[in-house]
Amino acid sequence: MIETVISPGTAESVETLLRFELANGDGVISTIVPIMRHLLSNDDASVFSDEIVARSRGMLRDVAEQLLDHLASAGGESERVAHDEAAIAGLVDCIIASPSFLGHIHALAMEWQLSERLLSRLALDPVISPLIQALIASPEAEASSHAMMLLASQARFSQAQRRMKLPLAELPGDHLHAALLAMRTLAGADDEADQKAAAAEAAIRARYDESQTRLSLIAKLVMGMGGGAVAALSVTHAGVAVFLSALAMASGQDRDLTVLSTNESQLARLALALRTAGLKPSAIEEQFVSIHPDIALPEGFDRLGPDRAAAILAVAGVAQDI
Amino acid sequence: MATDGSIQARAVTDGEDHLISADEPLASLQLHCGGDLPGLVAVPGLLELVRKSRQFDLKLARTVSAQDGRSAIVAWVEIEPRSDGEAGCNLTVRNWHSAPLAADDTRESDQRRAEIDRHVAEFAARLDVAQCLLSSEGEAPDLAELVRATQSGIGRPWTDFVMIEGSSHRQPIHWRLLDGAAVSIPGSQRRWRARLFPRQSSHAEVDGFELCLTAETALVRPSQRANAGTTRQKGAASVQRAHVARDIAPVLRQPIARIIANAETIRTRLAGPLPEEYGTYAADIAAAGQHLLALLDDLADLEVVEAADFSTAPDHIDLGDVARRAAGILGVRALECGISIDPPKLGESLPAIAEFRRVLQILLNLIGNALRYGPRGSQVWVRLEELGDRGRIIVADQGPGLSEGEQSRVFEKFERLGRSGDGGSGLGLYISRRLARAMGGELSVESAPGQGARFILDVPRDGVDTASGS
Repeated sequence: MIETVISPGTAESVETLLRFELANGDGVISTIVPIMRHLLSNDDASVFSDEIVARSRGMLRDVAEQLLDHLASAGGESERVAHDEAAIAGLVDCIIASPSFLGHIHALAMEWQLSERLLSRLALDPVISPLIQALIASPEAEASSHAMMLLASQARFSQAQRRMKLPLAELPGDHLHAALLAMRTLAGADDEADQKAAAAEAAIRARYDESQTRLSLIAKLVMGMGGGAVAALSVTHAGVAVFLSALAMASGQDRDLTVLSTNESQLARLALALRTAGLKPSAIEEQFVSIHPDIALPEGFDRLGPDRAAAILAVAGVAQDI
Repeated sequence: MATDGSIQARAVTDGEDHLISADEPLASLQLHCGGDLPGLVAVPGLLELVRKSRQFDLKLARTVSAQDGRSAIVAWVEIEPRSDGEAGCNLTVRNWHSAPLAADDTRESDQRRAEIDRHVAEFAARLDVAQCLLSSEGEAPDLAELVRATQSGIGRPWTDFVMIEGSSHRQPIHWRLLDGAAVSIPGSQRRWRARLFPRQSSHAEVDGFELCLTAETALVRPSQRANAGTTRQKGAASVQRAHVARDIAPVLRQPIARIIANAETIRTRLAGPLPEEYGTYAADIAAAGQHLLALLDDLADLEVVEAADFSTAPDHIDLGDVARRAAGILGVRALECGISIDPPKLGESLPAIAEFRRVLQILLNLIGNALRYGPRGSQVWVRLEELGDRGRIIVADQGPGLSEGEQSRVFEKFERLGRSGDGGSGLGLYISRRLARAMGGELSVESAPGQGARFILDVPRDGVDTASGS
């Protein structure tokens, strides 16, 4: 790991290297205890379950490999080839330096985990939900074709998740940008490598269209429902993916944070977000029955108004850009 | 319910994120948000997105929320870097939703507006309960005249120094009527607005005000570079070392004032309950800040009075009036110290030739000392006397008094007579005497241990030669 970033040579660069490594090491030490505590005290409902960690690692590796593919073809048609393990690890390290990127990957893994649970417990299909079905059958051509596009996208997502992969084209713009910066940083210092990286980067940027990503298609669908978007706030009707986007939009929270709130350790956030979104306590109860069947809402929750719920959420300490 | 994906507006931006062209309803939103067309994208969320798309060179698609003052707007926006070789982006807007804004909590929005006004104020002053100036500060170049005038007019109503637009009343009228008034300031081309924030004493009574003047437009400065050049030349021509009054004090005053204000906020538990000890620490911080501020003022004054070209601006003043104002300004502090000040009776007057501000400064120093060293329950007398061609003000206290030796040292620079930790700098009396002498007067002391002290300020009397007047 030490050899990845800086090529040692002068005394100064050795010092820089050691300082950098020391800071890294300190970072690790300072997080050991909270992480260990988490790993030891939680079962597979944890935000750090083996499944989540493995899936996150898989997606990161896939992103890194795609970038390396592009780098190898220098902007031409890229094909999947095998890469040096050290190069992959180095690129992954560099990518996860962006906390929001890591948060996004983690949230995708959590989303998929929830989808699979609801599939096994409620037979809720992760790809096609009653809502999507209804929209596809809609007489309006545009709504119907949009729902079809979303269906295809969601199917690709399920398949990719099963394989623990994440296509570059599915990343939100900011995260793709972060990944490209990481690639650029590691590409190497000499002119030729730099030019290759620039060509690869330009090709990726030109091919990218955020409006075609799954998350964007969902967001646009929910937007298009206007006042009817409240129908998307039922997880059994809308499906996990659309439900999460609708809840994020209606409660004014980041989608990745909203995904996290479906974890068992985040019951309060989920309840408050649903209330902020304007759901009645009885409807919230229904969502809880679907997502957390063995949890009851606290006594008196029905007296908490949406405004108060929003206020409590707004002052909560989590940075919205995790 | 249906997905209305039809395109509602198209727009184009350039390499500086200026909106070059836009269809309705985006065009009116741009104007309602205070933007121009063509002009910089005025909707904050949209600007962020346009900038990102241009810098990342990525096609982005997101929801954008905005307000046009009456309604909340949510729209789906697709942004694509321009492919025609020009820098900038093409925007496509779909799914435009607009809903009436929820009424703001007026109390909250008032508070927010007040905070904003305070932060952007370019001129700020402290006023006493009669809206007379206690202190003033301002930084903008076009405020220099106002700052100079107000600082030499401490003790006069603030309305003497600005024109209240559209009001012919004798000023100052009730503060609520002046709060928010448009004012014009001599020397400034800009339009200004006044905000008055009442300061409440512990009994919830108003005991003074904070005055903030905010400009409706920012001052357009001449090229910064040219400016820097001339200052450097000037600096080289005169003196190399930094001046407390000119260079250091203005820089330090603001952060210190902020420290004090924040410590006061903590001390008064405005932000919520707090254990007793922390309140005490905050009080200590505030007190230390006040001390620093006072010290800064003293050092600045010291430099001024010690300058070779120091002179005062003598005027026809009434010593009785000055004495009463000084007593009024320190009234609150006297109350806190449990000491009563007995100023000259209303109507008692003694015309003199001196600079109002300097005499006031001396009196504030003398009475302030008397409050600081006098025992609780005692009195401080301020008396006027006519002595031939001299007008005299005597400040007498019931403090511990001064021995012969102390009397001879008390006017020396940094002399603390062995005291420490009470917030004094040892400069006050030194500066006061320099000031008195600069006005052709004298400051002296009569005292004996245990008998209290009488500080005597003499200045030239007015109307001595023209004996007819009085």
